[in-house]
Parts: sequence; C-alpha cells; structure tokens
Amino acid sequence: MNEDIHERALQLIDKMQVEGLTAEERDEVETHLESCAQCQRRARETELALRALRSAVPRFNAALALRTQMQVRVRAREIYENATRMRALWVSCALSWILGVVSAPLVWRGFEWIGHRWALSRAVWMTGFVLFWVVPAVVAAAAIAWQQARGAVTSDE
Amino acid sequence: MNAVEQEAGEVARGLRRRDPDLIDYLIQQYQYRLFRYLLMLTGNREEAEDLFQETWIRVLEKGHQYKRRWKFETWLFSIARHLAIDLRRRRQPQSLDALLQPDGTNRPLELEDNAAHSAFEQAFQGEEAASVTTALAHLPPSYREVLTLRFHEDMELEEIARVVDSPLSTVKSRLYRGLATLREWLKDIYV
Repeated sequence: MNEDIHERALQLIDKMQVEGLTAEERDEVETHLESCAQCQRRARETELALRALRSAVPRFNAALALRTQMQVRVRAREIYENATRMRALWVSCALSWILGVVSAPLVWRGFEWIGHRWALSRAVWMTGFVLFWVVPAVVAAAAIAWQQARGAVTSDE
Repeated sequence: MNAVEQEAGEVARGLRRRDPDLIDYLIQQYQYRLFRYLLMLTGNREEAEDLFQETWIRVLEKGHQYKRRWKFETWLFSIARHLAIDLRRRRQPQSLDALLQPDGTNRPLELEDNAAHSAFEQAFQGEEAASVTTALAHLPPSYREVLTLRFHEDMELEEIARVVDSPLSTVKSRLYRGLATLREWLKDIYV
C-alpha cells in the first residue's frame, strides 16, 4: 500500500511536467512531497534535468541564415521566371487552338484544293490536314512537358 | 479574429505570393528554434545545416499549402521532419522501416554514441552543456525530438502529435520515457 502511494507520487511528478496536473492531483502530490524525502529527491532530479535541457542553447552560425535567405531569393526568382514562361506558353497554345478552330473550314478547303490540283488521293490530303492540326499541338505539349521537367530538376537541385 | 490568427493569415497570404521578404523575416524569427529542432532530430550539425536550408526552400515552394488555422511553427517543423526522414531514406534505404518506427531497437536517426556526443558538444553552449550533451547523445532521437518540442518549444501535446505524425498516446509515452532517461543520465552525472 505504501509502495503504491510512492508509485503514484512518482507518476504525478512526471505528469506535472509532461501533461500538467489537475488541482486535486497537485494538492495530492504536494501533500505527499512534504513528508517524503525520497519523492522530494525525485522531483528535484526531474526539475534539474529539465533545467539542464532548457539551458542547452545551440551555437548558431549567423552566416547560415544569410546564406539561406540568399538561396530562397534565387529560388523565388527561378520560380517566378518559370511561371512567366509557362504562362506565355499556355497563352500561345490557347491562341493557336482558337485560331485553328476558326480557320479549320478554310484550311480543309485549302487541303482539298491542293489534293485536286496535284491529283493526290483523298487519304493523302486528309492525312495532311490531320497532321496540320496535330503536329503543332504535339510540339506545344512536348515544350510544356520539357519546361515542367526542367522546373522539377531545378527544384530538386 | 485575434492577433495570432491575424498574423497567421498574413503569413499564409505572403507564402501564397511567395514573398521573399516575408520568408526573410520568418527565417530571422525561427532560425534558432528550427536549427535546435533539426540538431536534436539528427544529432549531426552538418546535416542540420543542410536541412535548415532545404526546409526554407520547401517553405517557399509549398507555401500555398500552409493554412492559417495551423501554427506556423507546427507546419515548419513537420516540413523539416519530413525532409530529415527523406534525407535518411536516401542515405540509408535499408533502414526505412526502422526509420518510420523510431521506437524500435534499430535507431537510424541516431549516431554512434561518441559521434553524437561530439556533435552535441560542438553544437551546444551553456552552463550545463557538458552534462546535457552526454545525456542527449544517449537518448534515442525520437525521445530527443519530443523533449525539444515540449520543453524548448512549449508545444501542446496535440501539436507535437501533429508534427511527429503520431498518435497522442505515442507522444506521451515517448515524453515519459525520454524524461526518465534524461533524468537517469543527469542524475549519474551530478552525483
């Protein structure tokens, strides 16, 4: 029974530091500490350990903060430039797509005329028309993918 | 909205804009605390310095993910922690499992005792530095980490659980064990 009281007091000593105590628990431990030298020693050791831990201040190299601030600014600049490039690329893609849609009937007639003029089969001039549509989109997609990959590599570095 | 929430809101807006002036200010504000946390986590000064720089670059890149309902330091320390784990994963891929369960017998974040002691000795200053460095070098990193967050940073247990991405019960258990180990080591030294 006596062991239990000490055990409980020791638990409360740690709980006081880790989680905090309720008013009743605080009263209980304080009352016990008044009459128990062994638990008093434990409470003192705990406080000493935490005081020592809190007194440990890392030596900080001020140049590290300056270096980091500079790196952050360089990276911020890279991100900004990359975003600007990407925006320009998306705008030109959107414009080219709109232009493509608007001019499609005209281009179709143009390919048809060339097909008749040069006596090409229907399949050939139609393939030409499809390529005319697909190739710029593929090139733009490749450019965007390349830009994004470059951005990711720079970010990893 | 109180002053803390208002400040968090300003930080969130600035991070979304990737404002380098704001990040300069945050670096100044949190430099010691972040470095101390990284040093406790890694037990290695060079690694802590590398991670310090990487953490702020990541803050710039992922700033839009910061929500003002979080305390900035909680978010900052969890970024730093993830980077520390990634770094160890790259360097010691074989100990990945142990890294994710830092209470295991294998302690990949921990240095050999002598090396850790020397790292802390070089890194810390203060009245009781020698005793503390010895004690810290013998603590598992997962204990050092929660002790720092609780007793240096004065974080609430729930915030610590968020930073270390573990249940509250795990955080408490690490704190109790860490405190007991620290006390044992310092008791021997002071006797």
